[in-house]
Amino acid sequence: MPGIDECLLEAMRLPGALGAAVVDWTSGLALGTVGDAPGGDHETTAAEAAELARLAAEHRAFAPEAGPDQSGQDPPVEDLIISNVDTYHVLRFVATSFDSSVFLHLWLARSDGNLALARIRLGEMAGRLVLG
Amino acid sequence: MTVVSTPAPRLPLRRRSVGPGVSPMLRRLAAERATGVLLRERGSLHLADGQVTYAESPESPGLDVLLATGGVLDTEVWREAVARAGTDGRVGRFLVDSGRVTEGALELCHAAALFDAAYFVLGPSGAPARFRYGAAHWLGPVRPVPVAALERETLRRRELLHRIWPDPATDTAPLVRADRAAEPPVPARQQAVLDQVNGVRTAADISFALGRPAFHTLVELRRLATAGIVTTASQPPRPSRPSRPPQVDPAPEQPPPALEPASALLTQPSADPDVALLRRVRDALEAL
Repeated sequence: MPGIDECLLEAMRLPGALGAAVVDWTSGLALGTVGDAPGGDHETTAAEAAELARLAAEHRAFAPEAGPDQSGQDPPVEDLIISNVDTYHVLRFVATSFDSSVFLHLWLARSDGNLALARIRLGEMAGRLVLG
Repeated sequence: MTVVSTPAPRLPLRRRSVGPGVSPMLRRLAAERATGVLLRERGSLHLADGQVTYAESPESPGLDVLLATGGVLDTEVWREAVARAGTDGRVGRFLVDSGRVTEGALELCHAAALFDAAYFVLGPSGAPARFRYGAAHWLGPVRPVPVAALERETLRRRELLHRIWPDPATDTAPLVRADRAAEPPVPARQQAVLDQVNGVRTAADISFALGRPAFHTLVELRRLATAGIVTTASQPPRPSRPSRPPQVDPAPEQPPPALEPASALLTQPSADPDVALLRRVRDALEAL
């Protein structure tokens, strides 16, 4: 059963992984970080990524066609993918039975990262983080 | 369709150099790697080897409440774990090893509860703090937090609230839905908070009811206040604002008392949305 650190270390084993974090998107707090951060500062990155994650989670435009989950527990968005010329960012929302607003943030080098693989693995890690 | 959307305030970044700090005593304790409990006016911080292992405040739901809400861990199991592993200071370990809760869930809830309570504990207070040297907290180590990180985060959180809506009244007062003809749609997490607003409950009551960190509720309430959807139940006559809690405001200032005539006019109940808007703008300016 992985904790936050094991989960982050597992993310770092993905090809091309540069850095990873577990972030709360309501407060912008980094609950755990590993590796490098874009711009060199994990706390700044967490606050900025949290803004983006919150907008994606709150705006109706990005919710599923069937409408958001009525229990309000499952985030309406699974993940966010951002690419630039040399890196990818994958933000994966973590579904929890308790009230939370947490996502995994993986930063990948584009040269040797595999976006499809990273997305699948990150989803699995998000599940194991809370379910064991 | 017109959707009123609240512009997202930028999440503030932590300041690298924290001036005088939120608690000089806490810094000394960190430097000497103290173990024990720091008792302040609004709660307590538990230290082990100078790091914060647990925090509790009557204003925020504890780890047990957060875990119980989603049905992860009911209060009976929690009591049993405290009874069996409390004296060894290994309750957290016991819960994980006995399969009651996953390591990840415990860590996420523990961090949420710790930073949440610390925000209130480290709020400005007039009463002196005390430190009781002694044993570490019975929960045992989950993910201890360095004092400097906790201080930075607490200051960042104050700034975050202030940037969303500078009036701290919704943090502590009973709340009411503003009388609006058409409430704009709000996101699901804000809606959950809004559904709890009944003219009696405060932010803390709502946090306990939802099993949600209190700071998260404060954030949503300030956003709802910005949008003019939620206000405090009894607006005190202006310009006297005795109920304003100085603890939460990073820079408490007295509102200028010079606005009497316009102020008196504006506090008249009015269905005119323009007047309601002006009133909110004035409140925001006063609170700046």
